[in-house]
Amino acid sequence: MSQFRSKKLDLSCFINVRVLRDHTKRKVFEQYETQRQALRYIIRNTTLPQRARAQAQLQLSQMHCYTRSTQINNRCIEGGKSRGVLKDFRMARVCLHGRYIIVISH
Amino acid sequence: MSLQTTLFSQTFNPLRLRTGNKILRQRLRGPSVAAYYPRRVATVKDLQKAYRHFDEDMETWDEEEEDRIEHVALVKQRGKGAPKKKRTRDESKKNKGKKKPAMSAAAAAETKFKNG
Repeated sequence: MSQFRSKKLDLSCFINVRVLRDHTKRKVFEQYETQRQALRYIIRNTTLPQRARAQAQLQLSQMHCYTRSTQINNRCIEGGKSRGVLKDFRMARVCLHGRYIIVISH
Repeated sequence: MSLQTTLFSQTFNPLRLRTGNKILRQRLRGPSVAAYYPRRVATVKDLQKAYRHFDEDMETWDEEEEDRIEHVALVKQRGKGAPKKKRTRDESKKNKGKKKPAMSAAAAAETKFKNG
């Protein structure tokens, strides 16, 4: 959501709406991670009163979807692609292929 | 049993209650997740701003900005530039709204008959 987006561009890789969105989600996740973990702890702790646990459950489910880690998707830093992204290179296989063709031809 | 847990620095939980300690033990993934995309460190504009107080008349260049301005000029020359900013409310409303319906065939024939 645009409410979380930074006012000034802070990326230096390939920029795309989808890349920007993913980056925003990552930052929001980082910001709210401790709060989420605390709520998760309350929910999982069976020694706490049932009422408190239910409240925590409700609170966690009402948090914004951008605070969830499952919303994050690794994207290619060269072309913004979401499929066939190799984690070690943070790059899609197609972009990587282009890179190593350059290396071989030199 | 209690002694054993203290010796090996384990938690004493003979009833095997679920205390949610698993979540407290987890590491925070946020910093590593947020560092996925390379961040922008400094732009040409930032450098220009930083050195301005040093020397007012220092000659600097920003190739990307120059390219952009050149492109805009070219596009304008072809008449494909961005539209002018609408200043008043009426100006912005001018080209909005529904299209006026075209005259139907019967009405067209009627006007033709009237005109002779």
